[in-house]
Amino acid sequence: MLLGASAGSDLLRALVQGTPAGTVYALLALGLVLTYKTSGVFNLALGAQAYVSAALYFQARVSWGWPIIPALLVSVFVLAPALGFVLERLVFRHLRSASAVAKLVVTIGLAVALPAIFDLALGFHSIAGQTPVGIIPGGATVFYNPFGVYALSRNELMAVGVAASAMAGLAVLFRYTTVGLHMRAVVESPRMTELNGIRSDRVSSFSWALSSLFAGMAGVLIAPRFNTLAAPDFFNLVVIAIAAAAIGMLVSLPRTFAGGLGLGLLIAVFQTFLPRWSDSLPWLATVRENLTPAMPFVVLFAVLVLWPAIRRSRAASDPLAGVEPPPPAPAATTRSRGLTVATRVFAVVFFTVTGLVVFFRADASWMFLVTQAVILSLIFLSITVITGLAGEISLCQGTFAAIGAFASFQLVTHLGMSVLLAALVGAVIAAVVGAVLSLPVLRLGGIWLSIATLAFAYFFDSVMVKLSWVGGGKQALAEGTRLPRPLLGPFNMNDNRTFLGLSIILLLIVAFAVVRIREGTVGQTLRALRGSELGAQSIGISPARARITAFAISAFIAGIGGALLAIQQQNVNYSSNFSPFASLFWLVLVVSLGSRTVEGAMQAGAAFGLFDAVLLKGAVIGWLLRSPARIPSVFPLSGTWRFVLFGLGALQFARHPEGLVENGKRGATEAVDRWLAARRERSPVVERTTEPETAA
Amino acid sequence: MSATADEPFLQAKGVAKSFAGIMAVHHVDIAVAAGERVGLIGPNGAGKTTLFNCLLGVVPVDRGVVQLAGEDVTRLPIHLRARRGLGRTFQRIELFAEATVREHLLIAERTRRGDGALWKDLLGRGRPKADEIERCDHILGLLGLAELADAPSEHLSLGQGRLLEVGRALMTEPRLLLLDEPSSGLDHDETVDLGRTLRDAQIDRGFGVLLVEHDVEFVSDFTDRCLVLDAGRLIAEGPTGEVLASDAVREAYLGTMGTVA
Repeated sequence: MLLGASAGSDLLRALVQGTPAGTVYALLALGLVLTYKTSGVFNLALGAQAYVSAALYFQARVSWGWPIIPALLVSVFVLAPALGFVLERLVFRHLRSASAVAKLVVTIGLAVALPAIFDLALGFHSIAGQTPVGIIPGGATVFYNPFGVYALSRNELMAVGVAASAMAGLAVLFRYTTVGLHMRAVVESPRMTELNGIRSDRVSSFSWALSSLFAGMAGVLIAPRFNTLAAPDFFNLVVIAIAAAAIGMLVSLPRTFAGGLGLGLLIAVFQTFLPRWSDSLPWLATVRENLTPAMPFVVLFAVLVLWPAIRRSRAASDPLAGVEPPPPAPAATTRSRGLTVATRVFAVVFFTVTGLVVFFRADASWMFLVTQAVILSLIFLSITVITGLAGEISLCQGTFAAIGAFASFQLVTHLGMSVLLAALVGAVIAAVVGAVLSLPVLRLGGIWLSIATLAFAYFFDSVMVKLSWVGGGKQALAEGTRLPRPLLGPFNMNDNRTFLGLSIILLLIVAFAVVRIREGTVGQTLRALRGSELGAQSIGISPARARITAFAISAFIAGIGGALLAIQQQNVNYSSNFSPFASLFWLVLVVSLGSRTVEGAMQAGAAFGLFDAVLLKGAVIGWLLRSPARIPSVFPLSGTWRFVLFGLGALQFARHPEGLVENGKRGATEAVDRWLAARRERSPVVERTTEPETAA
Repeated sequence: MSATADEPFLQAKGVAKSFAGIMAVHHVDIAVAAGERVGLIGPNGAGKTTLFNCLLGVVPVDRGVVQLAGEDVTRLPIHLRARRGLGRTFQRIELFAEATVREHLLIAERTRRGDGALWKDLLGRGRPKADEIERCDHILGLLGLAELADAPSEHLSLGQGRLLEVGRALMTEPRLLLLDEPSSGLDHDETVDLGRTLRDAQIDRGFGVLLVEHDVEFVSDFTDRCLVLDAGRLIAEGPTGEVLASDAVREAYLGTMGTVA
């Protein structure tokens, strides 16, 4: 390794080293801006699209033994544009008038579902430690060593070349071709463009295909940098691309490209100089390994919060957005009295029977799953508050839960606090963090608020967790972040049954509190704000105060749930429980099942904990057939299915923001009420209907 | 009524606002006393809406001062001006989706009382109390919306929606109500009905009104005093009848009509 003595040559080295990654970030960011400009969709699924192309290329090269050219053609030049085209046709074309936030949720659903669909369809399993191959023979070998400061590999040089030519191609397209002119026109005003006789949806399809092509290209180019091909890494890439796109204000393509490249360079510069600075600045030493990967998230957060112009760019939406009727009232408020009573009786009987079976018949593994479902239901109530009540999409609920869990761990370990008290204090700390976070973030509003929470989640994930006063540092790496089960008077929570009882009681308390908040002044205030922010302000409601309250309540609930989950597993288990990707999946799950009601959160909790074991492993069929041996051989199905199902379930958020179950429930309620009404006046109805029959 | 006509409740001095270099409002002074009914008219693009938004705090002023009851509120956000007695309605109605007619008024009542602590909700004290419902229903009766109290606001006609906005604003006990083109989108009969109901409510509650309106008939029926804005400047002010008859006003209106045609 060449290492120049002077800072100048070090800087040069960092710049050369950062260029390949920077150009790939720029490529992805361009893909992001293309669809945002032409269809108003902020596409968080872009990473999933990049993953799909990278995985197909890998599969074709390694498992099927294809040569480079056909593998590249099929994975990047056929699959990627086709995927973009299909997504636009099947999904986003129909969401034109939906709000930007609704579209964002749909793309999150796709981000979860697409890699899972692909893995299932091709039977693709990423193998740990198997480094993806590049698109040039002998890619890892040194090809060029400019200035004698850093040896670029063939793969890296290829990335720079491809990205630069893609950018040049895009510039030519925009400047000199008809379709480019149309695209620019559609950006200005889709409706005006249509009035001039240009099919704006065709232009939109084209931009989606192009955007997806860029994503696929970026995916294949960046893949050799990873040890293992895994979808979450590609999602991280999108967050970096978002930072680049934010620098370009989501409109300027050249600035976006410069933003991506700049980020790549900035990361490399920090990588080079941070160790040196930390020699003189001791406080840097603790974060120096973690600050580099966190740079994009810090930049993103800083751009969002400190750059006032970005707030004004949120108006990129269809002029007809906002005329959509509000979602219908929950089924529970419209159904007849008799049906309500019947539903409640059924619910009580069902839960009592299930509870008794679990308490007295279930073995340890089932008990574990049921307890987990109960605790997740509690955590999901935090999404009911922030999304269902306040109408904001927060992508850092997992982080709030992790704060609750880590805080309890620290309090128990260092202060010897009693576990349950520590959980409560942990929740309060999470609430404070939620309130403080909401201060800068709230002014953003809409999708930028969601993106800022995402940046916070990634910042926590890459920096905070590694600090010893949060995640426990080296000691925790060796011993784990242990939390004991509490003793509460005569109840020893080491007994799983007693702990399940405690979890159920806490869930009921929180659920009860959420219902009261919803019906009380806080809930009414939030509902007024969601209905009309201007109207609410005109009667003296402070939007900031109401939303800070909502964030704090939501973070508190998530925090107490996170602590409880850690106590159940007797370990925080951050990466499996609370990673940013987990936050996304939680949101998708709750939104697809119903974010507006308390039952929705509980159904989502049950789905999270039990979907695998009950449905995918075929336990229900085994139980119905009265023998586990008779479970058909198609079971157990892959756990990946839940990502497919719930990810796709979130696609209907734009149409039915109340959730699938709620939507189904309303349909069923109306059907039953109609049937009952028809029965009541049966005799005249029967006579009238028989007449035409005999006539026919 | 606490304030008399001598000491204005709302006072704006030298308010100016420009957008991208174009002066929308040009050094305007206005004063409205509590209990007074004042009209603000002017041709399209005269700066009425901008002035309105400056008074309410929807957009910040470039220069000038806005005072409520003698207090400088130029830098205060919308909701704090609302709490100091500045109510409003909207040209494009801004109702709370998913809330019934009465709930619109209940939340306004709660906000006015500042009675929305989280712990009260948690203890189940968040539900509407009998006296609150009574106050709401009184206002609804005054506006002729009593029968619609439990209806979802989506079921209201445009005219009823306007009245509901008035009712929602009245729950905050405003000293001055800013009405933004209340007749827009209504036909003649509906406008007359709205004017009558508004007048009854105004006499009953004694709040002041600043009315931005296109419909000259409405303005002359409803207001005692009138301000005329043209090209961002105040060109006339005085008793409504005189102002509407004056040459300057006719010229401003007919002048723009001429250019539009």
